[in-house]
Amino acid sequence: MAYMEKSIEEIHEALKNKEVTSKELIEESIQKSKEVQKKYNAFVSILEDVEEAEVTDHLLSAIPYGIKDNYSTKGILSTGSSNTLKDYIPFFTATAIENLNKKGAVAVNKTVMDEFGMGGTGTTGHTGIVKNPWDPSRMCAGSSAGSACAVATGVYPYATGSDTGDSIRKPAAYCGIVGYKPTYGMISRYGLFPFASSLDHCGVLTRSVKDAAIVVDAMKGIDKNDMTTWDSKDIHLYDSITGNVQGKKVCYIKELCDIKQYPNASEELKEHLKNFHQQLDLCKTIGIEVEEISIDSKLLNAIASTYVVISCAEATSNMSNLTGIIFGPRGEGDNYIDMMKDYRTKGFSPLIKRRFVIGSYVLQAQNKDRYFHNAQRVRRLLVDTWKELYKTYDAIILPVGSGPAKYLDGSLDMLNEDTAALEEHMQVGNFGGFPSITIPDGFINGLPVALNITGNCYDDENILNIAYALESNMNYKGQIAKEVNHG
Amino acid sequence: MKSKFTKEVVDDLADKLLIGLTEEENKMVLDEFDIIDQNIDMINQIPNINEVEPMTHCLDDFEYELREDVIEESISIDELLQNCDVYTDREIEVPTVVD
Repeated sequence: MAYMEKSIEEIHEALKNKEVTSKELIEESIQKSKEVQKKYNAFVSILEDVEEAEVTDHLLSAIPYGIKDNYSTKGILSTGSSNTLKDYIPFFTATAIENLNKKGAVAVNKTVMDEFGMGGTGTTGHTGIVKNPWDPSRMCAGSSAGSACAVATGVYPYATGSDTGDSIRKPAAYCGIVGYKPTYGMISRYGLFPFASSLDHCGVLTRSVKDAAIVVDAMKGIDKNDMTTWDSKDIHLYDSITGNVQGKKVCYIKELCDIKQYPNASEELKEHLKNFHQQLDLCKTIGIEVEEISIDSKLLNAIASTYVVISCAEATSNMSNLTGIIFGPRGEGDNYIDMMKDYRTKGFSPLIKRRFVIGSYVLQAQNKDRYFHNAQRVRRLLVDTWKELYKTYDAIILPVGSGPAKYLDGSLDMLNEDTAALEEHMQVGNFGGFPSITIPDGFINGLPVALNITGNCYDDENILNIAYALESNMNYKGQIAKEVNHG
Repeated sequence: MKSKFTKEVVDDLADKLLIGLTEEENKMVLDEFDIIDQNIDMINQIPNINEVEPMTHCLDDFEYELREDVIEESISIDELLQNCDVYTDREIEVPTVVD
């Protein structure tokens, strides 16, 4: 077994015992990066001249990892997978990455994403689409597509991600790995290219819950450069994992999980929900109390719309600094307005322009209250509903999406009304800043599917512990993608 | 029912953000704008929605502290100039913004 396919604890042990050196790990990771790039197009940059690091007592020391390309990295190309920043080299490093570097972690590549995180398919990056390593005719989902693909193929044990709607948790599900975004503000967003600031979270993609805990422990911390961060020094994610879940209570939402809600259900959806209910039985077996609860469908059906309105509106504002004058290549024109328009017209891809037009529409004076402010109102209703549940339950457990990875063909960024709430419910985790983790929970036609566990703000230790207990009783921990041939 | 969206409406919405659309891009948005509008209108079907206070941020317990006014080392000019296409010594060429 290659070292990069092992867990962080195992790799650390091998380094400590001098079975392998940092240099050898880097070589293995770079070599694997090149193979993965050729097959699945997961990277914007591979950092071939990276230096080895000293092995210390820190679990992450001297171990390679990947960085999503919307994290600023000093002296290293950081494009956000957009033509508008295709040559941008930041003069500072994002705090989360700086925190990893301080522990001796070694970044070996920058991963492809949907342009500025504004997509859920992994198909809109300026260097091309990312293919799913289990089945290259399917998508990785997005926006952390390259990070998910790389971790799933054993390039390294972890890569950073960012999550505005479900951009860590959906790709993790489609690639058969773990995706975790902690409570809003636990990890600094300083140096992360903003998409929708009130929803943006930093996080990580790994192959196990413990690895996710180790990495976020290293990334987190209060930061004077991000006033939304808070002091988490008393939270020790890795140390708090015990696997003891006696007395824990979780709930699932009937309107999302009952097959009778989907009269036109595909075979994949039927299998996915059946598998999910089997995992609920497993929860009970290991001592977790499970209850079904009900939420008004009208509210659930408004999740996706609420997300679209808020995220597109905030994005139009956040991206207004992309003028080609202070960042990116200059546009052409007789005056500065024409220059900016030329740069933005040529630089943004069609799907991101589509989202901008929606943002522009909902922010027009005559629409602002009806759409933007009402979306913010629904956001509160949803968050209050979830918080009310957290008074009784440790977590809400739900299936991720409507099945395994979707095909790349015909994968436009569109909503399917029947399954929209099932596909998009993880966005509530962003509305409320809730800690949320996705873990693989089975296979359909040889392709991975997943479940999600979301808890109350600041209760990350509890959520990871529940996820760990479940993971330990299933057989999907530490899995490496293998292309399946079905049909 | 006739759509309230036209090619001109879509172009105008994009133009307000200083973005131009190709014919294909305009058509892509226009073809689905009625559906998008219908979808986002779901938020208006929630009863008594106007009585709810809009939520603008994830957390409502932020603690803001004013930092001390301490002079810190800034980023070097050489580093900042790395991303400039055109400059002479320490001067950057910018477009005219005042006629």
